[in-house]
Amino acid sequence: MEIFLDRLFDGISNGAIYAALALALVMVYRATGTINFAQGEMALFTTYLAWGLTTRNVPVWVALLAAAAAGFALGAVSERALVRPIEKRGLLATLIVLLGLFSVLNAADGLLWGRGNQSMPSLFPNTLQSYVSVFGARLYWANIGVWLLVAAVVGLMFALFNRTPLGLQMRATANNRESAALSGVPVGRILMLGWGLSAAIGAVAGVLFTPLTPDSLSLGEMFPLLIYASAAALFGGLDSPGGAVVAGLLLGVVEVLLPAYVPAVGGQLQEAIAFVAIVAVLLLRPQGLFGSREVERV
Amino acid sequence: MSLLQVEGLQAGYGQAEVLHGISLAVEPGEVVVILGANGAGKTTTMRAVAGLIGRRGAVSIDGAALPPHDPGAAVAAGLALVPQGRGTFTKLTVAENLLVGATRRRDKAAVARDIERWYEVFPALGRRTGQAAGTMSGGEQQMLAIARALMSRPRLLLCDEPSLGLAPQIVRSVFDVLRQVNDDGGTAMLIVEQNAELALNLASRVYLLEVGRVVSSGAAAELRDSDTIRRAYLGY
Repeated sequence: MEIFLDRLFDGISNGAIYAALALALVMVYRATGTINFAQGEMALFTTYLAWGLTTRNVPVWVALLAAAAAGFALGAVSERALVRPIEKRGLLATLIVLLGLFSVLNAADGLLWGRGNQSMPSLFPNTLQSYVSVFGARLYWANIGVWLLVAAVVGLMFALFNRTPLGLQMRATANNRESAALSGVPVGRILMLGWGLSAAIGAVAGVLFTPLTPDSLSLGEMFPLLIYASAAALFGGLDSPGGAVVAGLLLGVVEVLLPAYVPAVGGQLQEAIAFVAIVAVLLLRPQGLFGSREVERV
Repeated sequence: MSLLQVEGLQAGYGQAEVLHGISLAVEPGEVVVILGANGAGKTTTMRAVAGLIGRRGAVSIDGAALPPHDPGAAVAAGLALVPQGRGTFTKLTVAENLLVGATRRRDKAAVARDIERWYEVFPALGRRTGQAAGTMSGGEQQMLAIARALMSRPRLLLCDEPSLGLAPQIVRSVFDVLRQVNDDGGTAMLIVEQNAELALNLASRVYLLEVGRVVSSGAAAELRDSDTIRRAYLGY
């Protein structure tokens, strides 16, 4: 029981991170109609930035806010300068530009911060003793912190989407860009805002995720995360923010529990779970769990 | 001064110029219809005037020039386009569609009153305020598209083929509503329509378009009564 709970807690923490990143992917997908391949690398860049600040004795909470702000700027500028000029050439052109951004950001990380593995300080008490016992299992403050912060970010985003005029403009733009423009919605600014918010969420996810494992900040850290987040986004339905969050959590838990209780999966096939999920969803239910199939009456 | 003044309008897609210098005017409160065969440039005219595509030539509202390729500026100047194919926000509810139509307005209380008013004019919408627009029938979506455009309180409503894909009975009720809106609020209209007979009954003046040029214009009644023009351009 204790071991199961330990694993469950870890799984929920990973799942919360996947959920946040999947939500970021969904926001870009709804605005632009593409998966942002550079989403993970944007998050890595801003995580390095936050880590670099903490090595200069900047408090880690301040570093988090700086990373989120830098992420917002990075996302907004990428949309305006890279995506918008190219997107009328088609989805493939956009995807290639985003792959290019992926490599550029990764190379920039290496140039600026080196190739070694680094440890990111945690936002929350992070010693072996900072836990509460739950039925004998150890629930670390760091886990609770991740859950709460992700819940706060997700809650804020949903409030923005569903409760504010700005969110309505974002949904209108995602649904029908031309009609939004005809209604007087400043479509360009809304697209930049969506990309900016999405990259800011990615930045928060990166700064939360990295301290969960020592020495985990490296050039290759975010790519597996992007795979999981993409799987979650697909699984939940690419245009459904709620679906992305549920699927992210689910994937995080399954990814920890399955290898533990199904010996055949073991420690090496973990990432395969994400790929299997992606293929299965595409084959069986292309619109995802909560996505909308394009059914329209004309 | 004309409400809408268009002079030497040129526009197209990529290298292909579709409009070769169109001039037309709409007076305050007037209903004007543009007729022409497929490919004459009717929809392109509407899209260029509304700022959805780039253009050359002058477009002005009340004498103030509209910047090209800026749909937001056109809305701010009092122009609203109901695009061909309706362009409703299919995933948003009926109420949300109407709210988006009022994006540029800050007078919240009046916006709420306008929404109620359009629910009365379009009872089908009033019964479905929380329903996703994409699940409604074509006629209901057309009504919603018109109501959404009117939410910006335009002085000039542009309607591109409001009858497209609708049953004849529904088409008549769409035109009844347009007439009512014009009678009640004095909203001027520029309408592109294939159903010439209905459009001519609503409009006071007509422009005939042929491959990107205005080839004839005049009072709607005159056109209705002229056998040659009717046969040549309207096909009945």
